[in-house]
Amino acid sequence: MSHVLAVLEPRDGALRKVSHEVVTGARRLADALGGSVEALILAAGAVQGADQVGRFGADKVITLTNAAFGRYAPEGYARAIAERVKRGAYGAVVFAASATGKDLAPRVAARLGRPLAQDVTDFSVDGGAVTVIRPVYAGKALLKLKITGAPAVISLRPSVFTPVERPKGGAQETAAVAGSAGRVVVKQIKAAEAGTLDVAEAPIIVSGGRGLKEPANFKVLEELAAAFAGRAAVGASRAVVDAGWRPHADQVGQTGKTVSPTLYVAVGISGAIQHLAGMRTSKVIVAINKDKDAPIFKVADYGIVGDLFEVVPKLTEAIKKLHG
Amino acid sequence: MKIAVCIKRVPDSETRVKIASDGKSLDEAGVKFILNPYDEFAVEEALRRKETAGSGEVVVIALGPAAAQETIRTALAMGADRGILLQSDGIPTDGLEVANALAAELKGAGFDLILFGKMAIDDYNHQVGPMVAELLELPCVTTVAHLEIDGAKGVAEREIEGGVEVVEFPLPAVLTTDKGLNEPRYPALKGIMAAKKKPLDVKPATLRPGALEIVALTPPPERKQGKIVGEGGAAVPELVRLLREEAKVL
Amino acid sequence: MVEGAGSGEPFVPARYQPPLPVDRLILKDGAEGAGDRMELDVLIVGAGPAGLACAIELARLAQHDGRDLNIGVLEKAEALGEHCLSGAVVNPRAFRELFPDLKDADFPLRGPVTKERVAFLTSRRAFTLPTPPTMHNAGNYVASLCEIVRWLGERAVALGVNLFTGFPAASLLVNERRVVGVRTAATGLDREGRPLSNYMAPNDLTAKVTALAEGTRGTLSQGWLEWQAVTSENPQIFALGVKEIWETKRPLHTIVHTLGWPVPPDAFGGSFMYPLEPNLVALGIVVGLDYRDAGLDVHELLQRMKLHPLFRQYVEGGELVEWGAKTIPEGGYYSVPARRSGDGVVILGDSAGLVDVPSLKGIHYAMQSGMLAARAIHAGLGAGDTSAARLAEYDRSVDASFIMKDLYRTRNMRLAFKDGFYAGGFQAALMTLTGGRVPGGKIAMEADADVPRQLTPGSRPGSVPTPDGKLTLSKVDGVFKSGNATRDTIPVHLVVGKDVPAAVAEFYARMCPAGVYEVAQGALRVNAPNCVDCKATDVLGPRWTPREGGSGPKYKRM
Repeated sequence: MSHVLAVLEPRDGALRKVSHEVVTGARRLADALGGSVEALILAAGAVQGADQVGRFGADKVITLTNAAFGRYAPEGYARAIAERVKRGAYGAVVFAASATGKDLAPRVAARLGRPLAQDVTDFSVDGGAVTVIRPVYAGKALLKLKITGAPAVISLRPSVFTPVERPKGGAQETAAVAGSAGRVVVKQIKAAEAGTLDVAEAPIIVSGGRGLKEPANFKVLEELAAAFAGRAAVGASRAVVDAGWRPHADQVGQTGKTVSPTLYVAVGISGAIQHLAGMRTSKVIVAINKDKDAPIFKVADYGIVGDLFEVVPKLTEAIKKLHG
Repeated sequence: MKIAVCIKRVPDSETRVKIASDGKSLDEAGVKFILNPYDEFAVEEALRRKETAGSGEVVVIALGPAAAQETIRTALAMGADRGILLQSDGIPTDGLEVANALAAELKGAGFDLILFGKMAIDDYNHQVGPMVAELLELPCVTTVAHLEIDGAKGVAEREIEGGVEVVEFPLPAVLTTDKGLNEPRYPALKGIMAAKKKPLDVKPATLRPGALEIVALTPPPERKQGKIVGEGGAAVPELVRLLREEAKVL
Repeated sequence: MVEGAGSGEPFVPARYQPPLPVDRLILKDGAEGAGDRMELDVLIVGAGPAGLACAIELARLAQHDGRDLNIGVLEKAEALGEHCLSGAVVNPRAFRELFPDLKDADFPLRGPVTKERVAFLTSRRAFTLPTPPTMHNAGNYVASLCEIVRWLGERAVALGVNLFTGFPAASLLVNERRVVGVRTAATGLDREGRPLSNYMAPNDLTAKVTALAEGTRGTLSQGWLEWQAVTSENPQIFALGVKEIWETKRPLHTIVHTLGWPVPPDAFGGSFMYPLEPNLVALGIVVGLDYRDAGLDVHELLQRMKLHPLFRQYVEGGELVEWGAKTIPEGGYYSVPARRSGDGVVILGDSAGLVDVPSLKGIHYAMQSGMLAARAIHAGLGAGDTSAARLAEYDRSVDASFIMKDLYRTRNMRLAFKDGFYAGGFQAALMTLTGGRVPGGKIAMEADADVPRQLTPGSRPGSVPTPDGKLTLSKVDGVFKSGNATRDTIPVHLVVGKDVPAAVAEFYARMCPAGVYEVAQGALRVNAPNCVDCKATDVLGPRWTPREGGSGPKYKRM
């Protein structure tokens, strides 16, 4: 029987949403390996949301407490996790490939003397061996890897393992764990600068091209972005950046940024290869253009042919309603 | 200040990815190889720290094929003092084995800082730096976008979702560098000339195959045919419905 | 302000072209503004086939003497080959001479030419013509110039040559009449010319001899020739070639050249299609820049051309791998400058116009000129004399070599076409039959910029309507496929003339294969980062000047 340890991610006393993805992934893996899912939380005390984790398939939810674990403690966490893994019969240890996860997983893997598959987008179990798929070469190719031996240490790419409710017992356990935070100490978390969500990091991007006709018309896109309540940034095609309508920092494609948001809305953008190369790995692409033959429609998942000045405000209204 | 920078020779990110006939690797015909861009921040940081300290040494280490000497020379042209190539035609897929080889070379050499780029733009593995730190039992901070060092203490800033983590650590330490840490210098003409004469030690790498085996390298799946939802403002409600229920992004 | 060239009135491009900025190109040695200064024995500007062959031959001669020559080669591209583009079918004789110990199989050439075809095209059909004697390619090899240059570069470096990539030469440094070196371009300026955080000042490199191997329409070469008032019997004329490389499903085993469609009868040009591998095909179109129709767009002609059954059968179902463009000096014998050497300087390859148009060859002439220059330079250094008189030995050796013999034989062939395809074809046939004797005397040519242009009624508007993204592509997409990732904040390197009317702006927009020029609200818009350094603009429109190293295309197998 191979158990799967799902390492969850608390912050400021509550579980980050990505933890549900980790459990969902761990559940799937555990089912394939024929084992149970143990969700692991490292914190200074009880963490909000721990009791919800069973919904997504955790058989047990273990909170290991230590006064020094209030914030992420790289060395303390790595030691505690590695010790737990060594004491059990785990077929896999699963992390989120979040900023913290990508930092923590290699430390744990090295302590265990095990390989690490980072940023996995899919996996399967063949003959007891975990096989994973992960994007390489900036998403231009997929690498399929077989992990020999146990445990398989993997981190899951965020937003891929959509949380699925597969309720299991989720029995809560708490135990104190000894040790210090380690030599590397997180002193504080500064908030990101308000207002300006970087195009490269935004989960939603609303991008405009020459179809906007004038720089002032970008207001229409700014309003749409605002309707997503802080999760959207406004991007720009190279043409409008060259024309000086938008700053270079907003450029998507060519020498601007390569972005991979969950949702990319291309407004008045025809779809030159250079722009497409910058955003083609977006999860969902929506195009709004009045030219039904625009190349962007070939790449978009959904498209609306029409006058953006008519369509976008309506879309803004609809999104606002959704977010209440 | 004695600083080591571990660098990697990688295909240019503009590379059109063509899969070799073995179905497991990149077809290298016409591929241009460069110094991993994230490693440039590491080399630059090392040079600046040495310059600020007024004395010291910057050593660049690479694990790779003979052609990686050229990559090391690029770092030497930027200003690094000497280079070491752990030569191997194949680089193990298992990052832990890469880390083992590098750690063996770095052990006991007395570096104040060991720098890595946060990840390589070919494998996106994001792991060798912290693994080396564990093997050498050194403190480590990853994805450093801002760094301050005061004697034997350092403060680093790293980006996390929705914020910036401020982290304190003691030296000696391992750090991995992220974009925004600095603006890497271009090699100067004199630097390029001087690089030819700087010491570059080539030794065979001792590598174990590791526990990760490449099954296949494949192109990404074709995007499914998209659909035009409708025309004009009237199509908006249907678009929103699809985004919610079908695509699940809202 | 619209002036003279509204709807269909003829205009002369030269009228709107600024003069060559000679005062920026020729600097007194010691002038302010440089950061580092480096002394070399020989400096070569341009790591193309001419520059590298020169470097290799020089290094070998020095090694033979037991001397240590400090040879530096400056290349504006970020890496070797990235700004090199050619068809190409290469005559291996220069390789054999430069590397007598190697065999043909060792050279960086692709397959030998086994079959060749010349066809005359109409919009739907292809009529095979007998291969003209000037075009027989038996014994030659299909090749990628990028691959040739990277291979030569490795050999040069192995011989101790210093290769400085990413360093464009922006000006010549002179001391009275002598060329003493070059100043490189600055790096890290913003659009307004202000230094950014990674600013690097220009460098001065001095040497006993500077060899200018800048390729087509070399800027410093032009500057030196004008400064020293060196002329040629005819001005140099140019053609623009736009080329693509395709991975094809259908294999190709023949090299193909075509005449006729889609090149209009009042223009000179044709197309080529060569197999680098049976399923990796290079194809392109070349059109003389003396075309009369102001609406002619060479990139667009290439896109249409691919839809012709002859080409379509190969590109259909295939994948476009690369796109690029470059000009070719076409003036031949009468456009080669009277001397290509001076005090402390020699001019090699395309910069000296050493290209034979009828056979479409330039690479082996470039390499040969490099070798001959190396020998002359070596002798000069040995004698402690690098004056014009001494370096004139280079000119004499080129004149006595097969280079000039070949160019002389075809001296009027291209020129015959200045009056159109049919008149030209007839005269060219006569020349071939009579070994160049008829018509005998030099055919006079004017510079391309002096040829009047006019928008022909019914002229195709701009690019192919809606490039389909499969077989045809827009200019902007082509630029992407050239590997061009020039930063968008780079200072504009193109010098535009004053008061360019809308019709001339439109002419520029069609002329430039990379979409650098656009007409926006009746005015000229310059998208300088698009530039792929083909130099067509320098010939017909705004002047091209060197810009930050590493800018421009990144050709891989062109």
